[in-house]
Amino acid sequence: MRATKINIFAMILLLCPAQAALAGEALVFKPVVSIYTDADGKGFLAPEDVACSAGSIVIADTGNDRLLRYELQGNEVRYAAQFTAPQLQSPIRVQRTAKGEVWVLNGKTRRIVRLSEAGQFLGNFEMKGGPDWASVVPRSFRIDREDKVYVLDIAGGALLVASPAGDFLRQIALPAEFGSFADFVVDSGGTIYLVDSVNARIHSASREAQRFSPLSKSLKEQLRFPAYIATDNGGNLYLTDQNGGKVVVVGLDGSFQGKKSDRGWKEGMLNYPVGLCLSGDGYAFVADRNNNRVQVFR
Amino acid sequence: MRLRSDFIVPSLALLLCLGVAAAPQAAENKFNLKEGAKGKNCLSCHDNFEEILKKPFVHTPLKNWDCTGCHNPHASSHGKFLDAEAEEICVSCHADIFPDKPASSHKVAVEGGCVKCHDPHAAANRANLHVGGNGLCFGCHKAMGAKVGAAKFKHTPVEKGCVSCHNPHASADGPVLLKEAVPGLCLKCHDPNRQVFQKQHGDYEVAKAQCTSCHDPHGSGRKGLFYDTVHAPFDKKMCRQCHEQPTAEKPFKVKADGYKLCMGCHNNMVNEALLKRRTHWPIVDRVGCLNCHSPHASPEAGLLKKPMTAVCAQCHADTVEWHASLKVKHSPIAEGQCTACHAPHAANQVFLLKEPSVITVCNGCHEWGKHSTHPLGPDFKDPRNPNLTVDCLSCHRSHGTGHDKLMHAASQTELCTNCHTKFGR
Repeated sequence: MRATKINIFAMILLLCPAQAALAGEALVFKPVVSIYTDADGKGFLAPEDVACSAGSIVIADTGNDRLLRYELQGNEVRYAAQFTAPQLQSPIRVQRTAKGEVWVLNGKTRRIVRLSEAGQFLGNFEMKGGPDWASVVPRSFRIDREDKVYVLDIAGGALLVASPAGDFLRQIALPAEFGSFADFVVDSGGTIYLVDSVNARIHSASREAQRFSPLSKSLKEQLRFPAYIATDNGGNLYLTDQNGGKVVVVGLDGSFQGKKSDRGWKEGMLNYPVGLCLSGDGYAFVADRNNNRVQVFR
Repeated sequence: MRLRSDFIVPSLALLLCLGVAAAPQAAENKFNLKEGAKGKNCLSCHDNFEEILKKPFVHTPLKNWDCTGCHNPHASSHGKFLDAEAEEICVSCHADIFPDKPASSHKVAVEGGCVKCHDPHAAANRANLHVGGNGLCFGCHKAMGAKVGAAKFKHTPVEKGCVSCHNPHASADGPVLLKEAVPGLCLKCHDPNRQVFQKQHGDYEVAKAQCTSCHDPHGSGRKGLFYDTVHAPFDKKMCRQCHEQPTAEKPFKVKADGYKLCMGCHNNMVNEALLKRRTHWPIVDRVGCLNCHSPHASPEAGLLKKPMTAVCAQCHADTVEWHASLKVKHSPIAEGQCTACHAPHAANQVFLLKEPSVITVCNGCHEWGKHSTHPLGPDFKDPRNPNLTVDCLSCHRSHGTGHDKLMHAASQTELCTNCHTKFGR
């Protein structure tokens, strides 16, 4: 009996750190620095996304049809390179693969473009063996840690998953009753979180799930028009509220955890933000679209 | 002296019988009311009721001289010495006008506004209605009255009366007080098995279709009671341009998905939209053009499914609700003209603005902006942000802020010192 009690106590102790990891502290969102220009002083125009990893970021300077790479050293940001290509029109999403490739969703042609680490055009991504790729309209896409490719296809009404080589693996139908899905994110465990911008709701599907389930009730009281979602893989989801000019944190149970920032022009404030990237080492990068800048928070 | 039980029991029974017999009499007049006290005597003061009572339709309590059925003769906490609140007093007798779980209810009836339609004492019209026929309904539903009056092609049931199709109080089954949901209601008069009916519908099986998606039940300027804006192929009965044959397994299946179906005719328009830097996402989703447009007929210009604000609010409800909640409104939005500033299909600008410059969009209406303004344009940097230049949205928010003149701040001083910080306190 005594041994059983000790075992239960030990199990609780073992589980506690896991619980803490599930509901970790959200970032404070203290402004660190804002990035406005390239090396020549040319300002950003309506940037919509940022891809980040420890040490560097790639910015989708949407209005200027280009990507910009910056290196991070502590709280300092240094310009590294600019990528332009005829295929880089109105880049609205940017992702990096484990191999260092940079993938971009061309907002004009609605095709996913692959670039090398140095910015050289490698070709358009095409999913093989799934729905007719020419009919697919990617609204957003993500690449996970294993380089699997996830595409939000609003024409087919499904989220498509492909292997790193582009072979179709599976699809999950988008929930039937919805307003408009603008974005999704895949966490380190393979769970997909999907955002319905119109109803301000999050739906989720675990790694093996065949369909999405509602994660949250409508968050309309806290979010006007969520446009983008990110995860810190520590129990928090971050959504940019485009029309509300803020970032909102939501727990994995769908509960509202708080808002970060406010609408405005001054540094630290956001004006129609879109893309958001969490570097994993305590930094958050926000594409502050209508302020024509990217802001770094921690 | 001891009373014998064989005497007590019959005596008690007799007393009980007498008591029971006398009870109703006492209850009927427990206050020793004078004759006529419940109503007839009221006429001694309310002598205008002699005229009222001459009207052909008299409310039953009044006809029975039971004024106290509704009024308290001594005191009341409710208007007109009523015995209860208006929404309670009528349903105390007329409870059956509301079904248990109504699919729709008339707001005025639910709120107890019975006397807005009915005279509680007497009237010249059946059911004590103030006005006979459709005139009563059109007293509030003025736009509908005007529309029905102006319709070149009339719907016979409307001529007979709104109550041909609508229940004036509540409906157990139908929306908008319809006695039954469409198409069931329509099929009560229109037999879908008739040859002429089938021919008019291109031999498609429409008995389960939503008739009111094409036909205006209140009358129309177009033969067939179609809504005023009709899609050309539909007007020419070229159903097969978009749909499968009527004999096909799925006759209503369209020949292509989403916007691709519409490209057959609207090729240039769709291509132009798809080549812009920003396409409105609903155009390219699985529903496509039909997110906003009706494929057959519509009362709205451009075959919009609903009035423009309602169409845009399908996705942009937050913006529409926000603007509606504000006292100071931007007139194009208040008038439902979202396309005054935005291109609905595609644009090269953020927000699908029609022009590259916000200033040009605003100057489309605010003409004075061309000659007399605060410095605006690409040559004037916004002091708050090195990547912004001063434009109309630097000081105003087009969808409203709650402040005067759609300004970002409550006062002009607060607004100006946002940038002109040296003047701030």
